[in-house]
Amino acid sequence: MDTYFLKNEDIFKFYDHINQKYDLFVPLKLKTTLKVKCDYGFDLPSEDYYLKKYSQADKAEIVFNDYRPIEPARTFFTHFKEEICAYFADDKEKSLKERPIAVFGLKNCDLFSLKIQDFVFLGGSEPDPVYKERRENALIIASDCLHFKEACFCRAFDINPHPTEGFDFNLSPLNNGYVVEVASSKAKVIAAALKDIFTPATLGQLSGRSAKRESVIRRLDEHLDAHKIPKKEILKDIVVSGYNSPVWQEQMHTCVECAGCVLMCDTCHCFLLADEALAENARRLRLWDGCLFKNFTKVAGGANPLKMRYMRLRNRYLKKFNFFIDNMGIQACCGCGRCIDVCPGKIDIRYILRRLYEEKYLPAA
Amino acid sequence: MKKNIYQPLKATIEEIIQETPTIKTFRLKPEADFSFATGQFIELTLPGIGEAPFTPSSDPKVKDRLELTIMNAGQVTCALHNMNKGEVVGIRGPYGLGYPLDKFKGKDILIVGGGVGLAPLRSLLFSLFSDIDKYNKVIVRYGSRSPSDIVYKDSIPKWIKKDKVDFLVSVDVGDPSWAGNVGLVTTVLNNLPVNLNNAVGIVCGPPIMMKFVTLKLLDLGFKPADIYLSMEKSMSCGLGKCGHCRIGKFYACKDGPVFTYEQLKGLPDNYL
Ligand SMILES: Cc1cc2nc3c(=O)[nH]c(=O)nc-3n(C[C@H](O)[C@H](O)[C@H](O)COP(=O)(O)OP(=O)(O)OC[C@H]3O[C@@H](n4cnc5c(N)ncnc54)[C@H](O)[C@@H]3O)c2cc1C
Ligand code: SF4
Ligand code: SF4
Ligand code: FES
Repeated sequence: MDTYFLKNEDIFKFYDHINQKYDLFVPLKLKTTLKVKCDYGFDLPSEDYYLKKYSQADKAEIVFNDYRPIEPARTFFTHFKEEICAYFADDKEKSLKERPIAVFGLKNCDLFSLKIQDFVFLGGSEPDPVYKERRENALIIASDCLHFKEACFCRAFDINPHPTEGFDFNLSPLNNGYVVEVASSKAKVIAAALKDIFTPATLGQLSGRSAKRESVIRRLDEHLDAHKIPKKEILKDIVVSGYNSPVWQEQMHTCVECAGCVLMCDTCHCFLLADEALAENARRLRLWDGCLFKNFTKVAGGANPLKMRYMRLRNRYLKKFNFFIDNMGIQACCGCGRCIDVCPGKIDIRYILRRLYEEKYLPAA
Repeated sequence: MKKNIYQPLKATIEEIIQETPTIKTFRLKPEADFSFATGQFIELTLPGIGEAPFTPSSDPKVKDRLELTIMNAGQVTCALHNMNKGEVVGIRGPYGLGYPLDKFKGKDILIVGGGVGLAPLRSLLFSLFSDIDKYNKVIVRYGSRSPSDIVYKDSIPKWIKKDKVDFLVSVDVGDPSWAGNVGLVTTVLNNLPVNLNNAVGIVCGPPIMMKFVTLKLLDLGFKPADIYLSMEKSMSCGLGKCGHCRIGKFYACKDGPVFTYEQLKGLPDNYL
């Protein structure tokens, strides 16, 4: 992989160049008075970042996001609600060709999650044409995490807070600029066009990057020690054996059925095909769906195998840690902690996994 | 450009047969030839209303027509029941794995249907009848709530007369005109004329009926791998992507909808 250095003052030249060909999304700080409190004595940041379409007007507010943005990476490839095709073959094709997107601000957890999304939408008997086009044309500009949120737990599943694959560019901030890794042929063309601002990275800059990476890992591991999250190798075992665990019902007492956990999740992928009746014609829509919604598995006549909230919570874990490990070999959870941040009921995946582990391996402790 | 996987094919309603007060068979003429294997299902779309999965009940050899036998059970099916000849619907598919006919060769084939569950089984019967030499015999046990709830009333008498076919209908509750069996379908599963060492059992019907018939067949000595069940799950895409139809490590739309009991038996009660 080619490694360059990009000075802080040149980052906008990089954005401007990419913005010519792509719809570029860049990180901004979310302005809100709501803060998530960290209970573990660490001085952890509670700000959130979101990704917004690049515009000169926002220039002063565009930042480097120290950790993953608030929205899941999949928002860029499947939209929450969108027309998915012309209703019938002879109806007018709806899609004006979309401009390809470039996303700056995705982290390694997000890249892990895109593997899951790719498995679903590109794999199987036939790929999803809308996803495929967006995904193949997109430019992923990933970056290292300099910090982490209280809810972040990627390292518990051996996912590092810095990307090593699955991106076109990766940016690692140093004090006066970025070490830039150029991975794909698309990215190489861009790097070649920007050779004035991309200088080969020096050994000193590379060791600076290593030092920063190690520092984040050390602090994150220390933070995660307190949570005692089970290793990824044992997840399948504990969710299957924990089928009748009391933890499901106990934890769901505070669920308000908002389905925020599934909708904010980086790895969830479920959807519903629905019709929208318009005066002149009908439209075929695809909407994000999820197993925390009450009617997700309801069939005609009203029978519902996931009638109770605790069954739906358990279903989510069985899907992530049993179904995906069986079918794809990896768990459908990247440790991004978005479900923890969003949940008004304070239902915490780290705690549930730990309980399942302890019930099986440390009974009556 | 390649056809979008979510886009249905137009089909015109050519004929509507009222089977029972709540069940109709719709004969569709698709815009282009449409092939399916028996046991596979399709997604039927009503523009502006929505989609639902159904297993064609017609003969898979016929490519230019498709029949669906549908019970009025909710939003989509109710709207469909209100439609008339000549109106246009959409179909997507076929999806899933059908009945493994190869594995049935030379065997005694027991078919147990309940209610509208006879729909997919009719397509299976057509396939078996057209190659009847390959199979040892076909035993059908069909359960219906009442005589008026029996589907395919015109065809059943003809099937009963066929060679190598043993067809029996039972109703839960009879009426004065009914001279046949009365009782749940499980009551007509005793003393079956089948050789258990060389038999398969195929079951399709409401979940509660499937459960008791499966238990009964196990009791009689059928092997879990020889019992084929049609699983009704909530479905949307039919393509193994939308996540609605998960059963354990399977998707019913992709790995089913027909499963052997062997595949399902380790799973918790509600198949999740
Ligand atoms: C493989 C397979 C084959 C089948 N074959 C047959 C057959 O041959 N004949 C037959 O009569 N039946 C068959 N069925 C059953 C048939 O699919 C149902 O009767 C049908 O789906 C009922 O649809 P409905 O819209 O009329 O019912 P509804 O009760 O209105 O809807 C049924 C379900 O659709 C989903 N749904 C509808 N609207 C929404 C919404 N707004 N948001 C979320 N979910 C929604 C829900 O899960 C809902 O419970 C089959 C089912 C399967 C899975
Ligand atoms: S985010 Fe929390 S409250 Fe909302 S559905 Fe999920 S578990 Fe329930
Ligand atoms: S389950 Fe929670 S932590 Fe895991 S990927 Fe989804 S949102 Fe992130
Ligand atoms: S119906 Fe969509 S995954 Fe099975």
